[in-house]
Amino acid sequence: MAHAAQSLQPSQPLQPGHSAKRHTGLMDWITTVDHKKIAILYLWAGGLFFGIGGLEAILIRIQLIKPMNTFLDAQTFNELITMHGTTMIFLGVMPVIFALMNAVIPLQIGARDVAFPFLNSLGFWTFLFGGLLLNLSWVMGGAPDAGWTAYTPLSSTGYSPSHGVDFYTIGLQIAGLGTLIGGINFLATIITMRAPGMSFMRMPMFAWATFITSAIILFAFPAVTVGLVLLTFDRILDANFFNVAGGGNPVLWQHIFWIFGHPEVYILILPAFGIISEVIPTFSRKRLFGYSSMVFATILIAFLGFMVWAHHMFTTGLGPVANALFSVSTMLIAVPTGIKIFNWLFTMWGGQVRFTTPNLFAAGFIPTFTMGGVTGVMLASAPADFQFHDTYFVVAHFHYVIVGGLVLGLFAGLHYWWPKMFGRMLSESLGKWTFWTFIIGFHLTFFVQHFLGLMGMQRRVFTYLPNQQFDTLNLVSTVGAFLMGVGMIIFLVNVFLTSRRPADAPEDPWEDGRTLEWTIPSPPPEYNFKQTPLVRGLDAFWKEKMAGHKAMTPAEPIGPIHMPSATILPFLMSVGIFIAGLGFMFSRDEFSSSIMSFLFNNYIVTALGLLITFGSMLMRSLFDDHGWHIEPEELEGR
Amino acid sequence: MTTKQPSSDSAVKHRHRPEGPQRHIVVFVFSVVLTLIAFAAVAAGGVNATFAIILLLVMAVLQVFLQMGFWMHLKDKGHMLPIIFMLGGFFIAGTCIVMALYWVWWD
Repeated sequence: MAHAAQSLQPSQPLQPGHSAKRHTGLMDWITTVDHKKIAILYLWAGGLFFGIGGLEAILIRIQLIKPMNTFLDAQTFNELITMHGTTMIFLGVMPVIFALMNAVIPLQIGARDVAFPFLNSLGFWTFLFGGLLLNLSWVMGGAPDAGWTAYTPLSSTGYSPSHGVDFYTIGLQIAGLGTLIGGINFLATIITMRAPGMSFMRMPMFAWATFITSAIILFAFPAVTVGLVLLTFDRILDANFFNVAGGGNPVLWQHIFWIFGHPEVYILILPAFGIISEVIPTFSRKRLFGYSSMVFATILIAFLGFMVWAHHMFTTGLGPVANALFSVSTMLIAVPTGIKIFNWLFTMWGGQVRFTTPNLFAAGFIPTFTMGGVTGVMLASAPADFQFHDTYFVVAHFHYVIVGGLVLGLFAGLHYWWPKMFGRMLSESLGKWTFWTFIIGFHLTFFVQHFLGLMGMQRRVFTYLPNQQFDTLNLVSTVGAFLMGVGMIIFLVNVFLTSRRPADAPEDPWEDGRTLEWTIPSPPPEYNFKQTPLVRGLDAFWKEKMAGHKAMTPAEPIGPIHMPSATILPFLMSVGIFIAGLGFMFSRDEFSSSIMSFLFNNYIVTALGLLITFGSMLMRSLFDDHGWHIEPEELEGR
Repeated sequence: MTTKQPSSDSAVKHRHRPEGPQRHIVVFVFSVVLTLIAFAAVAAGGVNATFAIILLLVMAVLQVFLQMGFWMHLKDKGHMLPIIFMLGGFFIAGTCIVMALYWVWWD
């Protein structure tokens, strides 16, 4: 467990060909603390869960292709919708967001890594093991089936006696730990590690979006942490927080969940706003229109995002005054969001627009997301919501903002930064095929669901009766879902074919790069910047280009670069939490074998897991790890 | 922290110029006195319960300000962001708790 690198003292004179231990192969990936490698880990893990969530979606749509279908039974359908929502949000798109943040943010602000590389690795591994725990439920007695919101009392033991919801509470608890760690890390990184000259108002919009998103994570995730603890206690330790018979209140869960849940949707969409704000100026060859209004709109959205949670609960009987208040605060969010939409349009207006794949996705994002925003304002009206509530209109709305908004944004970002992450340009022609199949499939799937909802089809029903005018629209929706699947497959083919080509992407592959990540090689060396650049304005690289310079002015002489050591401790800590979670979940079960009963019922498995975690923490605390240095000779030798 | 940023390093040094122990000793004594008052109010008995609760809350708030300002250095320059984040957090958490409790238990 102890590393060779740990004995390294910074004062010790180092020979070129540093003595830090280098891992290779799988060990390299497990022990890495390099933000660029962690970004790739996040991407593959997030992509895997995204694929699982996508297959779940396809199965759901096959079941709904015709009335009275018997492809799935009701129980499996409930498990599929629950896992589709949970997987997509917590394990699919959030890791891909973190992948892009990790890959890009240190480069954009001119830093050599994130503030806490060790925590960065810990955040990834806790997320991965949380996600694995949640998905283990499929093979360990049934997945959670109470919907992704897990409303009590449906999710309480009375109505969900199997372990499904325990996998939900404990899996999300562990994965949420990783998200919280990641958020704090990016806050510290952006506050303390910007390159000289990069004031807050010179930060690229994606860095701003990451900063604000991290702040929302910091404030919103504790709410879900508390909620999940309370639900776990109710379910495993017979507490009564949400149990009416014991003096609890089930609506309390809805409050706690949505106090987290609504900011969560802004955690999802703000990074997409940031990506779009990078892609559109680059391919319009114009600076972002209304940069400062974009910044304040982002902050305002984040603030208002915390003041609207009860609009998910209009029908729980909060009373007309509360409903009116939350209607108004919800509609207010349309103002800063509208500012952003118009700023993107004005950025394109008069620019030299190039429709590369990233820009196609960005341009597709604007109208699609706006449609989702408009149905959002419709849903914000409390009287109308009594009609829309729990119908497919809501399903259409949130898929328009999450898929039509976030996923299109992620595709834009992935195509845009792929050469920076992997050193290879994705194929433009396959990328355009991805775009057209995906966006046409998307609108086919979800546009018709607005009308299904207005005609009265409820969400979460596993089948429906014929001759209610639902039949054709559901068929269209399923066909669209398959087309989206084709788009995803084309993207995967593109990734595969690209990975077999030589890594020959230049530093600035799009040729109009505006920000610092395009000033260094693709992919960047492990220290990112040989010399920290001096930032002289917004769009630092573009400013130098316009001044006739080919490179950034360095802010420091070439010197030894301090690097963090690779470590396996974060991986071990996460394994420990994973074991402890599993042990706790089954602590009240009756086992047929007496050894199993002994191990689980006496919390021995839980204690073992916690021992691994706290033991690793102890190792981390007792043995100082000062990292290692890359010497100037080595930098020059490249 | 992985990067060496000479400029900000020296800025940090200037910001945290040692100011001697006197002020911290005063604050420490003051904290102890606040704690003693709170204990005394309960231990002495005979103090009106409502008054004691209000007194405890006031002592607690004063204590928080002392701890944050002096021991967490929030009174010093360059701590605007932590203050903004804390106030933001208090405001959001406070709103959520008050509203949710109001609806769940009293409305």
